[in-house]
Amino acid sequence: MKRKVLFLSVFLLAAAGMVLPALPCHASDGEILIGHPACLSGSYAKAGEQAVGGIQAILDWVNNTRGGIAVEGRKASLVYKYYDCESKKESVTSLLERLITSDKVHFTFAPYSSGLTLAGAPIAEKYGMIYMDHGGASDKIFQQGFEYVVQTIGPGSLYHAGTLEMVKAIDPSAKKVALAYADDEFARSVMKGAEERAAELGFEIVFNRTYPAKVTDLTPLLSDLKASNPDVIIGGGHFEDGQLLNRQLADLGIQPKLLSLIAAATLPAFGEALGDLAEGVMGPSHWEYGVTFSEKGAKKLGKMWIGPNQEEFVALFKKAVGKDMIPDYHAAEAGAAVLALVLAVEKADSLDPDDVREALGDLEFMSFYGGWNIDETGKQVGHSMVDVQWQKGQRVIVWPVAAQTGKPLYPKPDFK
Amino acid sequence: MRGSGKYLPIVPVLAAYALLLLYGLAAPGKWQLVAQLAFYCALGQAFNLFMGMTGYVDFGYVAFLGVGTYGMAVTISSLSDGGLGLGIILIGFLAAAVFSTILAMAVGAVALRLRGAYFAIATIGVNEGFRYLIEGARIWNGADGIIFSRHLKTALGRKMAMTVSTFWADIFVFGVAVLAAVLTLYYLRNKVGYALLALREDEDAAKVMGIDVTRYKIIAFITSAALAGLLGASGWALKLTYVYPPDVFEIHYTVEAIIIVLLGGAGTLMGPIAGGLIYGVSKYFLAITLPGFQLLIFAPIIIAIIVIFPEGLVGILKGKVHGTSLEKFVI
Repeated sequence: MKRKVLFLSVFLLAAAGMVLPALPCHASDGEILIGHPACLSGSYAKAGEQAVGGIQAILDWVNNTRGGIAVEGRKASLVYKYYDCESKKESVTSLLERLITSDKVHFTFAPYSSGLTLAGAPIAEKYGMIYMDHGGASDKIFQQGFEYVVQTIGPGSLYHAGTLEMVKAIDPSAKKVALAYADDEFARSVMKGAEERAAELGFEIVFNRTYPAKVTDLTPLLSDLKASNPDVIIGGGHFEDGQLLNRQLADLGIQPKLLSLIAAATLPAFGEALGDLAEGVMGPSHWEYGVTFSEKGAKKLGKMWIGPNQEEFVALFKKAVGKDMIPDYHAAEAGAAVLALVLAVEKADSLDPDDVREALGDLEFMSFYGGWNIDETGKQVGHSMVDVQWQKGQRVIVWPVAAQTGKPLYPKPDFK
Repeated sequence: MRGSGKYLPIVPVLAAYALLLLYGLAAPGKWQLVAQLAFYCALGQAFNLFMGMTGYVDFGYVAFLGVGTYGMAVTISSLSDGGLGLGIILIGFLAAAVFSTILAMAVGAVALRLRGAYFAIATIGVNEGFRYLIEGARIWNGADGIIFSRHLKTALGRKMAMTVSTFWADIFVFGVAVLAAVLTLYYLRNKVGYALLALREDEDAAKVMGIDVTRYKIIAFITSAALAGLLGASGWALKLTYVYPPDVFEIHYTVEAIIIVLLGGAGTLMGPIAGGLIYGVSKYFLAITLPGFQLLIFAPIIIAIIVIFPEGLVGILKGKVHGTSLEKFVI
């Protein structure tokens, strides 16, 4: 008897919990709905939390500071509807369809990562729905013939474009580049881009090898690398291996003029973990707190400006997530994607996905996130990365000059 | 259990899948939800074929889905210019079944000599090991994975490719689920099933009785693996049109399969359907109502159900209908 009651109550509770709040939300007139199968749990939970916060922050700005969006002769406000896809591909497809068909959203956002972005793309394409890619950096997404996928994050192939240009500008004599990176899809696409860029700029690749993503000792690989005597070392993949690479370079006394590590060196924890060994180490980032993109700078370049300035964005972000957290690039790029939609909707003066997609194609603007411009496949080509360098325990943006918060330290000081 | 009533338990199973399918076709905008539920049911059904009958828990199970996904992906990305039309999908399924069968033979040859906990431990490494083999040896494009949406469009045309990804792939998942159920029942009603049930209760006694336990274990193991391969080829490859090693060799799916089977009742025919539906529906609605906090609620509910009802829902139902006219429909 006891069991029955227990089972019944669990069942009823679950049933009530599922049915009651799950009623679809429809846009009332004067509302534009953005739907997002966000990653709030699972492997991408951290990036997902940032992205949701970034979108909410910009929504707040659009609705309350800007006064909404002018479309079809009225002012509309943005409404954000998100579910948690648990960073799982099965959930992405079903939740995305729900957003499109039951909640009747006008535009959709992709979940974080290239894989999950790809998982949802067939559904978005089926319904002819704009699908804003804010966290899928793979260039291959844009070689598949998708028509409604629009990227805001810069493609992986452009990560080191700025870094290499900086070396060429400061030290034309530096020629030898070594690549040592984690064997995964992300690092590979980044390094392929670096390789191509290096060839274009006249560098010579003297070393090019991968290591397993969860490596625990890089000494054999680095001993070979040492023999090639590079001026520039580009590498990494994740936080752990980036840190290991840095430490073991120091152990082996390899002293490059420049060391750039993807994903690892831009994180605050990197400097805390490595202390003096991090001095002068660089990393490319889509956006970093401290960049100096401004309305004035946009004017100088003759580009349209939209959105809050950086301080306003940070304040709105903190309000949105409800804690004292500094936004990182995941938040900034998701927020910038909303700004692109706002401009495109106004330009098209329509909510029709095809009209808005066309307007997005013609759009070029600047915001706190930097430049935004896509090519005909939907790939982001207008956003350049910033390069961050550790200087005396602080992260300083050293490149491009327009975003600089300090001068680059080049050549980097030797490891002690 | 002789004669015409032998295969009656398949009736409620087919009815359940038919109802689910009809609901998906009739309710607007619910197709992907139904597809997700069908995936969980099929996953449970295929996993249960081996685990339910033998009592052996294979922690490397998802590796079979993974190689199946690769079977389809490799086929489509390399044969898309061949003018094969829809035949390419058939070849993809064949490749998936062959790949997963080969892996199952390799794994089974070693691991099936072990019993109980030792078998479980031996299989844990299979999944991770195979993933690193693919990445490290650059097999099938290594860590870059295969993205073949473009190839599918080349092979079938844009519109057909889209319909395959958003509709037919899910129909194939239903197909795998039904096939798994039919095979489970067929085994249960034939020599394989009797031998495996004897083995599950007491492996040594079964051996003494002259049953070639290893042979029957391998038969069930390979069948279960091949079904997983087909499931990966349809539910992951055709549907999502990409494969990255870390996304498919993800132990999480093995855990999901175990939960689904335990919720519904291990070794029962209807169990995976009940488990898959409960698991999928709760997951979906909790993700909608409490985005970000659903696991906090979901986990205790699952633990509670499994602790309170160790035989699973269908296990309990079986006890209830015992001795009634419904008995012959439930196993």
